[in-house]
Amino acid sequence: MDFAGHQLCINDLTVTLGDGERRFTLRSGQWSIKGGEVIGLTGQSGTGKTLLLEILGLLRAPGGGSYYSQQPDETHHFDRYWSGAQARALCASARARFFGFVPQSGGLLPFLTIAGNVALSQEIAGRIDPDWRDHLLYHLGLEKSAHLYPGALSIGQRQRVSIARALAHKPFCIIADEPTAALDPENAHAAMQLLIDAAHEGGAATVISSHDYPALAQFPMRRMGLEITSAPQDNHVVSELRPLADQVVLKGTR
Amino acid sequence: MFLIAKLALKDLTFQKVHLICNVAVLAGVLVPLLVLFGVKNGVYDALIGQLLSNPRSLQIDTSGNTEFLAADADEVRGWAETGFVTLKTRSQFDFVNVRRKDGRQKRDAILIPSGLGDPNLPEGLALGDGQAVISASLAEQLDIAQGDMIDIITQAEDRPRQLLVSLKVVTVLPVERSSGRSVLADIAVLDLVEAFYDAYALPEYGITQGKPLSQRAASFEGLRVYANDLTQLANLQTRLEKRFGVRTEARTADVQGVLNLGRNLNLALLLTATVASLGLAAALIFGFWGEVERKRHVLASLALMGLGGNRLWLFPVIQALISAVLAILVSFALLWIASGVAEQIFDTGLATQGGLVRVSMGQAVIVSVVVFVFVGLSSLFAARSALRIDPATVLREAAT
Repeated sequence: MDFAGHQLCINDLTVTLGDGERRFTLRSGQWSIKGGEVIGLTGQSGTGKTLLLEILGLLRAPGGGSYYSQQPDETHHFDRYWSGAQARALCASARARFFGFVPQSGGLLPFLTIAGNVALSQEIAGRIDPDWRDHLLYHLGLEKSAHLYPGALSIGQRQRVSIARALAHKPFCIIADEPTAALDPENAHAAMQLLIDAAHEGGAATVISSHDYPALAQFPMRRMGLEITSAPQDNHVVSELRPLADQVVLKGTR
Repeated sequence: MFLIAKLALKDLTFQKVHLICNVAVLAGVLVPLLVLFGVKNGVYDALIGQLLSNPRSLQIDTSGNTEFLAADADEVRGWAETGFVTLKTRSQFDFVNVRRKDGRQKRDAILIPSGLGDPNLPEGLALGDGQAVISASLAEQLDIAQGDMIDIITQAEDRPRQLLVSLKVVTVLPVERSSGRSVLADIAVLDLVEAFYDAYALPEYGITQGKPLSQRAASFEGLRVYANDLTQLANLQTRLEKRFGVRTEARTADVQGVLNLGRNLNLALLLTATVASLGLAAALIFGFWGEVERKRHVLASLALMGLGGNRLWLFPVIQALISAVLAILVSFALLWIASGVAEQIFDTGLATQGGLVRVSMGQAVIVSVVVFVFVGLSSLFAARSALRIDPATVLREAAT
């Protein structure tokens, strides 16, 4: 799909968890991501990386701020989806249409073959394209395993299937949460490279979270970090997202 | 919805052991209940069948000296409990001689009032003027066949001539529907015989001597009434006795015994089924619920990819219903085997009547629908659980 002129815009999204005694607030700040761009999201454990990805992936309602997808001919205000009676259905439909997810450890369906898992996201999104599916399987080195079930694959192979599945329906945005956390360093590097290459080839905006800043630093991408900004003794923990210094802008994204 | 159904089916067939377990749990309860239900049907239906095969089970006869008029029969005929009613003449005049028209052999036989609706007759058969139905025994002894003419002959001590009435045999009752030698004819034939005995002139039959028939007031000694069905017999008997102040004779005690047996068997079956259903419901509810918990990551993955929205609850429900269909098929197959084995072991001789273990097609359909709905309802807890699954689970927990 051609995502030229598409971008996700995030304006001061906030979410607060917890009760009165101990609370956690996440603040996204203002930023946007365009088609083909890759953002590496880093931060220590407990800074809210997954929480932010949940909000971006329409899995959790933000407490405030705005969040929308801007396209040349239409704008989708995702933050408003949560206010309607059909919020759950609207968000599910938007997830199927706009987003591809690469979880930490596969998230594959054990009763479908590799080809079936990859084709499923196309079926759900209503964008059935066997050629693109086969291309992804080939590109990710899975064409010979297409008939196997996930249980027969190694963790690294499963993660590649997960990447193929996230890209299969040509979503605008790929959300990858610690996609290499379960892999050994060699496989982790390979998987990260595949994800970035595939996202770049497909033209999708990609947000990759990792607590491993050095790992992210090996790849050309724009990096943002979540950081606790509240005082250590404060019962109200605040985590804020900030751009990191050594930004690398991928070719063709600007 | 089609995609959810397809995935639910694939998941179910992928994990065959779990499917077999679910089907086994269902069939384990269904088969014993079906066998019990089938045995109840088989035994009860056989007893009821035996009763119904003999119309005397439905029959009520008045006894004692009471006069009945045609209007009384008409009144009883109008009651909801009544299947058939006929007047009766004095019983000493019931016996007549019978011979085939122009035949030489004669046999004595009992003359029984009958007509359209009489359960002794084939269904729908009407007895018109000059028509009769005879028993198999009489037909065999006098070599009479359907369509033959017979003569009814009777003679009174003080009458110089015999009364001879010619009737056409419209059918011969089979052996199992008749006993002894009997002729069934309209009450008018019996009334004619009684008038003959009462010394009235019957010029149409060549009997010119006697009292003029116009002086005769037609009255009858009794009523023979047949109930609509076995359950109406007791009510009809009580109503007859109250209305006419007479005693009556019927096989009410035998019939009530069988009906009570049926009611008690139904109660016992209902109690057993209720207890079994409660246990099954608990097993199914927690079983399906456990399945959803076990498949939490699968369902969360589907939700993460945007499948279903608010319809993800269909996933466990569809799986439950597919399990129910398989369990129903397996249960009826096992019932069929069990009924064959039971027939061999007990040698009941009921095979020609449908067997010892009997479940009709209609009953099978009803049982299947009830089980289907029951399983569907039991899966609703699992459906609610599926709907509450948070797709973010996949992001937060290791899956697959």
